[in-house]
Amino acid sequence: MPPKIDLKLCKGCNVCVDICPLDVFKEGAKAPVVAYPDECWHCGACVMDCPEEAIRLVLPVPMRPVAIRIK
Amino acid sequence: MEDALVKCDVLVVGGGLGGCLAAIKASEYDVKVILVEKANAKRSGSAGTGNDHFWCYIPEIHGKAGLTIEDVVKDMSFKGPYGKLTEGFIDQELCESIVRETYDRVLDLERFGVKFRFKKIYPWNYFVEPGEYEEAKFRIVPAFQSVPDVLNYEGRDIKRKLTKEAKKRSVNIMNRVMVTSLLTNEGSVVGATGVNTRTGQFIVFEAKAIVLHTGGCNRLYPTRTGYLFNRQDCPNLTGDGEIMALKAGAELFVTPARKRGHGAFQYLKNFARASGAATSCYPAGRYINSEGEVVVEHPASREPLRVRREKVETDIREGRLPFYLDLTQATEEQIKYVEWSYSNESLCWAFLEIMRDMGLDFRKDIFELDLEKPGTISGGGVGIFIDTNCATSVKGLFAGGDIVQPIGAETTGPQAVVLGWRAGDRAAEYALKAPEPVVDERQVRDERRRVLAPLEVKDGVAWQELNVALNGLMADYMGYVGGLSLGFNDVRSEHGLESLLNRLRELRSQPLNAKDPHEVMRCLEVLNLIDVGELLIKAALDPRIYEKGKWFMAKLAVKEMKFFQRPIVYKYPIE
Repeated sequence: MPPKIDLKLCKGCNVCVDICPLDVFKEGAKAPVVAYPDECWHCGACVMDCPEEAIRLVLPVPMRPVAIRIK
Repeated sequence: MEDALVKCDVLVVGGGLGGCLAAIKASEYDVKVILVEKANAKRSGSAGTGNDHFWCYIPEIHGKAGLTIEDVVKDMSFKGPYGKLTEGFIDQELCESIVRETYDRVLDLERFGVKFRFKKIYPWNYFVEPGEYEEAKFRIVPAFQSVPDVLNYEGRDIKRKLTKEAKKRSVNIMNRVMVTSLLTNEGSVVGATGVNTRTGQFIVFEAKAIVLHTGGCNRLYPTRTGYLFNRQDCPNLTGDGEIMALKAGAELFVTPARKRGHGAFQYLKNFARASGAATSCYPAGRYINSEGEVVVEHPASREPLRVRREKVETDIREGRLPFYLDLTQATEEQIKYVEWSYSNESLCWAFLEIMRDMGLDFRKDIFELDLEKPGTISGGGVGIFIDTNCATSVKGLFAGGDIVQPIGAETTGPQAVVLGWRAGDRAAEYALKAPEPVVDERQVRDERRRVLAPLEVKDGVAWQELNVALNGLMADYMGYVGGLSLGFNDVRSEHGLESLLNRLRELRSQPLNAKDPHEVMRCLEVLNLIDVGELLIKAALDPRIYEKGKWFMAKLAVKEMKFFQRPIVYKYPIE
């Protein structure tokens, strides 16, 4: 479920907790916790602002775009 | 926790594009300004992660080309290439007043550090010869209108820049606070109440003037994937401003069958936040059907949307589905331009990330599209009625952006920016002359009890239960009319609507439970959504029919258009 924090890269600065428009993160012991994963809008603000590039959006299966390779 | 009392002259509710500009403009006067935002103003609202397109009438460019402000207003209304899509839906006087100020606001945004001009101009940009320039110029592209008037720009961090500007001007920004009600005294607004969504602290605001800039309403109808928050527009927008204005006695404009969108499909399958975004995939993104035939040469093409919709509906009837976004024929230079646009646009940035993760490429892949914008009545439905000074019918209460009456097709970004600026200006002028606010303690007490009630309920109902139930009911009985033709996919009956009203009353009487202040916010949002739903149903059942005029409203129960000349006014409670 989105977003996914890479604990090896996260330094616990809590920028994502600060800026998330949908308030899905909570501060944790070492790294932020995704407290309300169902409320993620997948806007990517956390990915955009994370100084360590430690966050990735992982789309739930039903939300993945449908693409066909034609070339 | 003890309640907080906060005093100011101008209180701006909602820190999106428009709210930030309202606060910035108000701060030019000798007034104390507070901006209250449910999230964090740095990344909140529909442009939170950027915006790459802004339509604008530039006198020295469009005027020279023989195009007038009236041409742009016509584009937004029924005379333009939109055909019947927006016929009469709009307040043309307000629309014209917005068009007139778009360029001035672009100049302001440039002052605040937003980059609108570039040294390289491409062959597909309008009015300026392609080439490299010493002095930067506007990259102008078309977007449905007959007048090519959209500026492609670097707006990815526009909200961060506006927040910085507001702080520089000593605007007090209060993040993570949901404003829950307006306080009134003898018909004037004197303050508001709010709750901190992290600490649960109840806050009383005393203010001489208030600007409401809380956006549309986006969680009333179901999503296709079942994920409540899988929506194109911000799921935090739940009609909060509209409902608090209604309860304070403001006149609302209700369009029960509001149609909005681009006459079908610029929505990518499954991932609602992502979009094929017509203006962003300019100049190369085209729409093809399942036979590989081009349905729309370019989504921002200046073809009448009526014509486009006919083609789309023919393909649907004859089974040439689904449709795809196709950039595989584009040149490398065009793809790079599209990727630049996408990287600046809220609707597209996350999609670029997902594409990279999934190994997808515009050069090789085509992307399935959804036919219409699922689950959104944003920008329409219920709107606070304002005059050209952004004044509502309640003294001291101003509004702008997506929460006002319909102004025209695709007015969103400029509507937020222009009206936000204007609302901030008029609110500050008003505050300078307004008396000291006197708050009615009983209003505060009643609202405090309502707001914090979900924390006291033990074995109650979760907010998600009510939200999902409401979505299902609205879809079943109050069929959503998306981008397609009237009557194409709507199902309504008077009996169904009346029974729906009873079901909403049942929902409202459920004991909502919140485990923490975050959930208190979601509970209050759902209560607002139920109110919005009720307003829409009441309007759909309303027998007051006027002749065709400035205001338009479709009554679908009888499958024919009826027209209202002026807004229907509802008072709270809605009976």
